[in-house]
Amino acid sequence: MRAIVKDGIGIFSPQGFLDGNSATSFLTIEDINATENLKVDMILVSLKKVIFFNRNGLDTFVKMFVKVRLKNHATVGFCDYDNKKFQAIMNFYKDDINFSLFKTYEIASLFSSNFKNDSKSVLLFSDDKSQRSAMAIELHDNGHNPIIAQTKQEFLEKASKEGSYDMVIEDTYLGQMGQKIATRVTGNAIIYTISSFLDANIGNTFNIAYHNNSLNVGFTLFIFDAYKVVSMNIHALNFFSRLASSAAEYNATICFAGMTFDKIPKAFKETMEDSGIMFFEQMDDILHDKKLLEDLGGSSAVATKNKRAINKITVTELPNFIDATVLTIEMMTNSKAIKEAAEIHNIEIKEKTDKLASSIGFYGDMDGMVILVFPKDIAKKACELLIGEETNDAELILDSLSELVNIIGGKVKTLLADKNINVNITLPRTYNNIDNLLEMTTARKGVQVDLAFDNDKFLFFLTR
Amino acid sequence: MITKEKINSYIDKIPPAPKALRATIQLLNEGELVKAAKIAQTDPALKSYLTNMVNKPIYGFRNEVTEISQIFGILGVSGSQQAVYNYMVTLLSPSKWKLFKLNAKSFHNLQDQLSIKWQKVLQHLKIKNVDIQSSITLLPASIIVSEALFCEHIDDVNLLRGTKALDYNTILSRLCGVDLFDICQMISKKWDMPEDIAKIVQASSGVKPSDDESINTLGKWMHLLLFFELSQPVFIEANLNDFIDFQIDYVSDIYEEFSTLMEIGS
Repeated sequence: MRAIVKDGIGIFSPQGFLDGNSATSFLTIEDINATENLKVDMILVSLKKVIFFNRNGLDTFVKMFVKVRLKNHATVGFCDYDNKKFQAIMNFYKDDINFSLFKTYEIASLFSSNFKNDSKSVLLFSDDKSQRSAMAIELHDNGHNPIIAQTKQEFLEKASKEGSYDMVIEDTYLGQMGQKIATRVTGNAIIYTISSFLDANIGNTFNIAYHNNSLNVGFTLFIFDAYKVVSMNIHALNFFSRLASSAAEYNATICFAGMTFDKIPKAFKETMEDSGIMFFEQMDDILHDKKLLEDLGGSSAVATKNKRAINKITVTELPNFIDATVLTIEMMTNSKAIKEAAEIHNIEIKEKTDKLASSIGFYGDMDGMVILVFPKDIAKKACELLIGEETNDAELILDSLSELVNIIGGKVKTLLADKNINVNITLPRTYNNIDNLLEMTTARKGVQVDLAFDNDKFLFFLTR
Repeated sequence: MITKEKINSYIDKIPPAPKALRATIQLLNEGELVKAAKIAQTDPALKSYLTNMVNKPIYGFRNEVTEISQIFGILGVSGSQQAVYNYMVTLLSPSKWKLFKLNAKSFHNLQDQLSIKWQKVLQHLKIKNVDIQSSITLLPASIIVSEALFCEHIDDVNLLRGTKALDYNTILSRLCGVDLFDICQMISKKWDMPEDIAKIVQASSGVKPSDDESINTLGKWMHLLLFFELSQPVFIEANLNDFIDFQIDYVSDIYEEFSTLMEIGS
C-alpha cells in the first residue's frame, strides 16, 4: 500500500489484522522505497482500522520509519489508537521507542507545523516530564498555545471543562522530531522550512527544479519558515540573493518568517533586503494578513520571463493531454465530452463570471503547463465524486478542483511515460478569479481547446 | 462510466444454472442428498470441482474421496448446497483477474476459507439454517461482478485511489450507485434466496445495520470474518483488503468471542 499525502503528511491506513505475515504484504519493499522518496514532513501509520496487532506486525512499519527518517528526516510514527493500544505499543518497545505516537491524526497535524491550522490552545499531559516539555516546545514553535497539566488529576479536571481548549493531548509520545527543507502549499503561497546552520549545502538540499517550475506555474509568494535557523554563512547568503533576483523576474516575492539575527551579521540582512527579500517576525503576520497575502501571492504574476513558444513536442503530445483530461472528467461526471475547437493563440475567455480555474505544470523531458477553466457548476459536479456529496463550500470545491487537476496531471504523466517521455508535475494552483489567471498567462501562446459536456462548456489550455 | 444497465448486464451473466445444476440445487433444497448426487454426477465439471475441493488438506481426509454421493454425505445438506453455489460462482470468474490480483486457485481458496469459517461461526452461534449457511457464497460472487465493472477503468480507479484514501467499495457506489453488498442482494434475488439473506449480507457491510437484532448479529460476525480473511497476505496482495471500509466499532462487542473462536493471538 502507498501513503496518501495531504498537507505534507503521508498516512498509511492498514485495516484488519496486523501480524508479521500480513504486515509485509501491506508494506512491500517497493512501498518502502516509494515512501522514502516522498517529500513530506511526516509519515504516519493510522491504527484506526486495525483491530488486532502484535509486535511483529508493527516492526515492519517501524523498520520503514527508520529508513524514511535516515533519508529525509521526516517525523515518523503511529496515530489513531485508544489507550489500550497505546499501552500495548509502549509495552512492546519500552525504552527502545524511536518513533512518535500521536493519539489522533489531528494531534499529529499540530506538530507538523501546518499553517492551515490557526493557532490552537492545547491542553497536554504526559507522565514523562521531559515529554511534557518537548511537546510544549514543539507546539509553541508551531505557533500554538500549549498549557501543561503537571499531574494526571489536574489534567482530568481541566480536560473535563468543555470548550476551554481547542485540543486535548494525552497518550502521545514524541520520538525524534525530523527537520528538513519541506515544501507545502497554503492558499497560493509555497512555504519552505529551513533550520539550523545554513551553508553551501543549501544548494543541494533545496529543490531548485521544483521551485523554478512553481514560478513558471504562477506561484508568486514563497515563504521560508526560518524559526529554527541558528546561523548562516556567506554561501547561503549568496544562494538566497540569487533566488530572490530570479524570483523578481517573475514578479514573485520571497519572505522569511521568524528569522532572528542574533548570530548572523546585520549586513547579511541588509544584503538580503536589497535583493528584495522581505522579513516578518511571525508566520502569522503574513498568513493572517489577507490583504498582504493577496498583494503578494494572489495575483499580479507578470510572467515577463515567459516568451517561450509552444514547440513541436508539445503539439505532438497534445492528444495525450486532451485524452487524459477528457477521460478523467468523463469518469468523474458520468457524461460524454465533445471536442469543439482547437486553435493556437493567447488564452481567450469570453465569460469571466462564475468560473474557476486551475493549473498544473510539468517538467522533465518536456515542460509546460495545463490550464483548465470551468464554469462553477461543472467544477462542482466534477468534484462531487471526490467530496462524496453536493456542496456549496467554495474552499472545498477549489480544494477538490486541485485534486482533480492533480489526477489529470498524474494521468498525463503515465500516458507520457508509456512513450518514454518522463515528466514530473508541480503542485496544482487554483484561481477563483479569472482575471488573476489572465494576468499570469498574458503573452503566452498556447493551444486552446474548447470542450463541452452535455451542454456545459469548459476550456483546456496547454502552454509553456 | 459505469451505468445501471451495465451492472444489470453483468448480473445477468450470472449463470442461469445449467439444467443439471438447477436440479441439483432444487433437490438439495429439499434435502434429497442421494437424488441430488445422482444428477450432479452427470455434470463432469461440477463433479471434478467437488472432488478437487473436498480433497484439499483443509478438509483433512486421509483417503481420496471420489464419489459425489460420498462427498454430499460428508458435507451434509447445507455444505453441499454451499459447494454447488461456490461452483456456480467459479463459472463466472474471469480467466485473468486485472484489478484484484487473484487467480483461480486463490479465489477458490477465498471461497473455501470463508465457507468453512462461516460454518464454524454458525455452529458456535447454534444456527442451523441452510440458506444462512449459503449466504457467505454471495460475497465472492459479488467480488467477481465488481472486478468486471472496474476492469475497464482500472487506471482511473487507481489514480482516484492515489489522490484520496477511498476504498474500492466507496468508489463503486459513487461511480454507479450500488456497492458490493447491493450486488450481493441482486445475486441473492437471482438465486431465489429468501429475503432475510440479503438483509444479513447488507448488515455485514457494517454501515447498513438492520433493525432486527438477530440479523444484525450475523452481519457483525460476517463483517469481522470477511476482514479476518482479507487480512491474509495473499488477499492483501490481491488488493482485496482495500475493498471495503472496516467498521471496527460495529464489531467491537463480538471481537473477544470471535478471537477466541478463531484462536487469534494464541
